Amino acid sequence: MIKPPVRPVTPGRIPEAVALKLDNGIPVFLIEAGTEDVIRIDFTFDAGQAWENRPLTASAVNRMLTEGSQNFSSSKLNRTLDFHGAFYNLYCDRDRAGILVFFLSKHVEKILELAREILFLPVFPEREFKAQMKKRLRWFLVNRDKVANIAMDQFYESVFGKEHPYGKQVVQEDFKNLSRDCLADFHVRHYTPGRLAVVISGRIHKDTVPLLNRFFGALRPQAADVTRSGYELKASEIKRVHIEKKGALQTAIRIGSPAINKLHPDYPGLKIVDVILGGYFNSRLMKNIREEKGLTYGIHSIITSALLSGFKVISTEVSKKNTPKATDEICREIELLRRVAVEKDELEVVRNYMLGEMVRMFDGPFALAESFRSVWDFGLDNSYYYRLVRKIKTIEPDEITALATTYYNIDDMYQITAG
Amino acid sequence: MISYKKYTLDNGLRVLMHEDRSTTLAAMNILYNVGSRDEDPGSTGMAHLFEHLMFGGTAQIPDYDKQLLLAGGENNAFTNTDITNYYLTLPAENIETAFWLESDRMNLIDFSQRNLDIQKSVVIEEYKQRYLNQPYGDAMLLMRPLAYRIHPYRWPAIGMDISHIHDVTLDKVREFFFTHYAPNNAILTLTGNFRTREAVRMAKKWFGRIERRNVKPVDRPAEPEQTEARSLEVEKDVPADALYKAWHTVPRAGNDFYTLDLITDLLAGGESGRLYNKLVRQKKLFSEINAYITSDIDPGIALLHGRLMKDVDIRSAEEAVLKVIDELKEKPPSSHEMEKVRNKYESSNVFANTSILNKAVNLSFFELTGNPDLINTEVDLYRKTSRSMVTEAARKYFDPASCSTLYYRSSRDQK
Repeated sequence: MIKPPVRPVTPGRIPEAVALKLDNGIPVFLIEAGTEDVIRIDFTFDAGQAWENRPLTASAVNRMLTEGSQNFSSSKLNRTLDFHGAFYNLYCDRDRAGILVFFLSKHVEKILELAREILFLPVFPEREFKAQMKKRLRWFLVNRDKVANIAMDQFYESVFGKEHPYGKQVVQEDFKNLSRDCLADFHVRHYTPGRLAVVISGRIHKDTVPLLNRFFGALRPQAADVTRSGYELKASEIKRVHIEKKGALQTAIRIGSPAINKLHPDYPGLKIVDVILGGYFNSRLMKNIREEKGLTYGIHSIITSALLSGFKVISTEVSKKNTPKATDEICREIELLRRVAVEKDELEVVRNYMLGEMVRMFDGPFALAESFRSVWDFGLDNSYYYRLVRKIKTIEPDEITALATTYYNIDDMYQITAG
Repeated sequence: MISYKKYTLDNGLRVLMHEDRSTTLAAMNILYNVGSRDEDPGSTGMAHLFEHLMFGGTAQIPDYDKQLLLAGGENNAFTNTDITNYYLTLPAENIETAFWLESDRMNLIDFSQRNLDIQKSVVIEEYKQRYLNQPYGDAMLLMRPLAYRIHPYRWPAIGMDISHIHDVTLDKVREFFFTHYAPNNAILTLTGNFRTREAVRMAKKWFGRIERRNVKPVDRPAEPEQTEARSLEVEKDVPADALYKAWHTVPRAGNDFYTLDLITDLLAGGESGRLYNKLVRQKKLFSEINAYITSDIDPGIALLHGRLMKDVDIRSAEEAVLKVIDELKEKPPSSHEMEKVRNKYESSNVFANTSILNKAVNLSFFELTGNPDLINTEVDLYRKTSRSMVTEAARKYFDPASCSTLYYRSSRDQK
């Protein structure tokens, strides 16, 4: 049977978010999309780890938001959210922190009322705080038992520095060194209307904006007295670190380095280089290390942006005895990328895969909101995506070699193993 | 409301189609009615290993992945105890590429010793990565044979033991393909931006040429009723003690499925669930606790697991768990609490339907259970679950005599 013709993959116009401001200046972005009567709201603050001076502060504040407020106990808060069929994720990233709430559009009023309690009126009860820290210590101990996490934490430390919040490793003592007052203080300074943005997507209820004004528009935007963490980003001198884990059946490998972020003009091109190397299922690393040698269940490469720096990292887990072999092959693939021009055929596959991804990134209300955030965080807009599409369509093999030569130097890369 | 059309080809392939014009994408899901429950106890993990081999190419199309990528597509697959399920999404205008690729590998896969050997190593690394090299990763490997003595649910989809994967031969692989991969043993579901009439035409064109195969029904032994509590205690190098409990329940299509699902939601649905509220928040016995029922075609289990806080005795923690469950047997939940779990279900159902891929996977599975309409009508079945049904089901199913317990102890000094 004859292969059906393939139409070129073409990401279309990206629907623009409608930008407006509440009475007190809080920016709100509305993305109307979807077939179901559901809403996703992202309340996002400039309150991520980059703003903390003591490990765990930013994430502990975030986790405590639903542990009791002026008008609701933690149980009542959760009971009410569940009763209205709402799902929420508290999140605390390197730069930003907040809450994502998913709910049926008809409950918008109740959800916004609860969101104000959670975000602006938490009381950080001493009892809940203590219990929370004990519980989180248990989670931490389980997570630190996984070679993937041990290697990743060390990788961040090596790449960003022992002291900077991007790199600092949490240790058991950190759970005892925090106090409820220190959380309340961080909250007052960082969870302010002036540091908040609201991104709403889905089938947006017509009362949403007036209700937002009712619950959030009268809060006073205090001039917050805050500075970023006092520590500098500082990559380590030591490029190779191994952490022994007794009895481990596999070794986790992390190879990578600090990188440019989305604000740099080379970023779209570098993204393509990264995909060729290890960013999709048919990547060179997957083909070589999984599909030809069967050394691993999976190997991936990713380049990530944070506000102060980006980083790129290759991750895999292999049997202990295969660690040197896998590491050598990773280095060999990096060398190949630097020295040999990409074949037309392979580049065609990568172009189409990436364009297909860009169609998926703007399909439906939730994907749209995520894609909006990942440029808005950097002060960029959809023109970044149009630039990326253009680069995917036009990049040539010599530019790929040049980018690989500039940005992938094996001597500059950190090689971290745990197992 | 998800409207769909069903069409059965002459060779027995069932095709379900749901148009969604709000997206520029299309999703294709192919469910093969074969899972680890169809395996021979001496050769487990076969269905899952076979899933890996399905990406190895055919004589016609040696590079499935590459061809899909060229059409802007993305794909993956999973295998569980009941089914092997392949799914993909791609820009809707390239939907015919999906028909071309999936019909080709349903027709005949290219078996090679080399590919088999490599995928065996990949699966063995997967086994280590997901089950053996994670704290508590082997808990379900221990729980299954405790709860099931005879039925094939006693082993997990990845296989009972790594040696089974080692020992698979090319002949076995070939035989497996021809006895399970067939149009008359599969369900094809399409969702997204296409016309149903066009989809039917393409289904006939691409899949219609594949001949019906002789699918032998597997004779599975029924699990005898458990009449005595079972337990197992292990000590391992993990950070804290953990407790696992399983009770026998009903098949996915069984009458009490919805009631049991709501019971586990009452117990563990989010932070307002009873177990979390009482045992994590108030009594501080567990750092986390969860409960759910399996969604299996044959009679399944209700599973509960929790990790203990420092210095908590595992037996007293277990007693506290049982007390929370007994309350459900003694007193019906309040109308408000019932309304809460029903609302939560309703909402999660709406959210599941925001994705064309979810809709495709779910429609296929409901078709397998015999009633694709359930994608729309299950909400009512949950709505109709009453307070007294909860009490009755709690008494009937959460019987100490049908319970299996795993005490997963830590060998470390507690920090």
